[in-house]
Amino acid sequence: MNENLKKFNINSLRELGIFLAFVFILVVLMALSPNAFAKPANLINILKQASINGILATGMMFVIISGGIDLSVGSIVALSGVVAASFAHPGEFPLYVPLILAVGVGAIVGLINGAGVAYGGLPPFIITLGTMTIVRGVALIAANGQPVFNVTKEFEATAGGFVFNNIPNLVIYYVVITLILAFVLTRTVFGRRVYAVGGNEIAAKVSGINVEKIKLAVYSLSGFLAGIAGFLLASRIISGNPTSGQAYELDAIAAVVIGGVSMSGGSGKWYGTVIGALMIAIISNGLDILNVSSHFQLIIKGLIIIVAVLVDIKGKGKQ
Amino acid sequence: MKKRLTVFVAVFMVLALTLSACQPAATEAPAAAAKYALMMSHMTNAFTIEMSDAVKAKAAELGVDLTVNDGGQDPAKQASQVESAVTQGVSCIVIEPASVDGLVPAIEAATKAGIPVVVVNQKISKPEAASSFVGVSNVEGGILEMKTAAEDLGGKGNVAFLLGPMGSDAQIGRTDGYKEVLKEYPDIKVVFEQTANWKTDEALALVENWLQSGTQIDAIVANNDGMAMGALKAVEDAKLSDKIKVYGLDATPDALAAVKDGKLAATISQSTTAQGQKAMETCVALVNGEKVDPEILVEFTLITKDNVGDYLK
Repeated sequence: MNENLKKFNINSLRELGIFLAFVFILVVLMALSPNAFAKPANLINILKQASINGILATGMMFVIISGGIDLSVGSIVALSGVVAASFAHPGEFPLYVPLILAVGVGAIVGLINGAGVAYGGLPPFIITLGTMTIVRGVALIAANGQPVFNVTKEFEATAGGFVFNNIPNLVIYYVVITLILAFVLTRTVFGRRVYAVGGNEIAAKVSGINVEKIKLAVYSLSGFLAGIAGFLLASRIISGNPTSGQAYELDAIAAVVIGGVSMSGGSGKWYGTVIGALMIAIISNGLDILNVSSHFQLIIKGLIIIVAVLVDIKGKGKQ
Repeated sequence: MKKRLTVFVAVFMVLALTLSACQPAATEAPAAAAKYALMMSHMTNAFTIEMSDAVKAKAAELGVDLTVNDGGQDPAKQASQVESAVTQGVSCIVIEPASVDGLVPAIEAATKAGIPVVVVNQKISKPEAASSFVGVSNVEGGILEMKTAAEDLGGKGNVAFLLGPMGSDAQIGRTDGYKEVLKEYPDIKVVFEQTANWKTDEALALVENWLQSGTQIDAIVANNDGMAMGALKAVEDAKLSDKIKVYGLDATPDALAAVKDGKLAATISQSTTAQGQKAMETCVALVNGEKVDPEILVEFTLITKDNVGDYLK
């Protein structure tokens, strides 16, 4: 009991560290730019800009907790976006057609990734690197290298609309997806098994968990969410752009890692990933508003990732 | 486990084969009688397709035989295509190079073997290696774009620049063009200047952030249309369309549609068709022993609401 209590304290301290860093950055940016950054309209803008990466990061979190990685999500965003926009021209199909197709495309690529990892025995890095490249190629072919434009008003409003006049739809989607998947991760047998597989695969197998099935499911989930993200991005930029979504996988991984999820799998909290996604959006937004050159922004983002993981490793050492 | 792997590999290969079978044959087999060769860096976007179509049409018009090679964006592949053309004894090569440096040795070898080479659109790092260059000057494009914006602003106001990937040829040239124009307009101030890497999604987020900063922006001038389209969406979302004008460059189909709808203030065409036609003409002139200029520049075309009808297909 006593030991459990101690463990809890150290764990919560570690999480507190991420939270403190988040508040620190927020306060610094608010102090530097009280008239622009700290305005409610901008804070809503930040939430909106965090949403698409946040959705990708949620899927990435499941994959990373299971001990894997998914590099294909950025390319899936591009392909799903192209597919969505291609079926969203005025007077052709109802809105659910592009939605189902975009999400379906994402889920299929996720399924291929999962099958490659679970049944093909391929390292996650390799199979998803392969599909990342293939899917980008398919997106370019499907769109003939050009943005697909001319979409319906309803399609544009999916991501571009507002709830209660000022809360962007994107934020609502992100919150709903996060809450559902937080429940799945923490309150269901499936969620516990994802942790078990990432923590110790052999032990998980011995205890009767169908490791292959769990892996297939997490990659499919990640692809499914990337399909949603692709649909939403296409709606946001009112076009399906085959070159969009480049390096989104890296931002998603960064959000997960900043949020304290261990790259070796088996541990991590959903709210850490939320903080990670918000942190990335806040830094970009704050530095853009302060007119910091994009070259320096890269350095600052990189440093934050390294420091976050360093804190994570040190925290584990103490444990 | 092993069996599963074999099955997986087999399925994968079948998929790959089906995919490759679906792809149309991009390269035409070189005919023995061919006299002219066109080397495209790739044939996967509207720009390269318009370019190769223009060269082909001109070749047909002049009644010469032309083979078309697709370099697949691979400088090594394109270099070997140039070498094959040389050994096959073509009379002249038109090349849209896949790399500014990588094709120099192959082009040099061709001209040394007495086969003239006309480089089109993308200038190589050693221009004297080729017989002639046909293209546009990025600086001129930037000048035309910025001049249009400056005149629309009445010579006064705040502008923001969306730049291509820092250090790329087009980004440097076009931005230099902007700055040259601004020397004549001391009352125009550059309030933001950031890269969005040619991308619509990046430009959208960046301009959203700029608009939150409270700094007044009167015009956004983008290095390409992709970024201009992102800026346009941010401006429309913020309901500032009547206050902020957006300018692009490239004349992509979506940008042309936006110009037609009165959303995008202007875009600039690289006159791709004219470049291709001029390159083919130059090649034929070289074979006929005529003297040609080492650098032939094709004019950019400004596209606004007034003349956009001529460019919409």
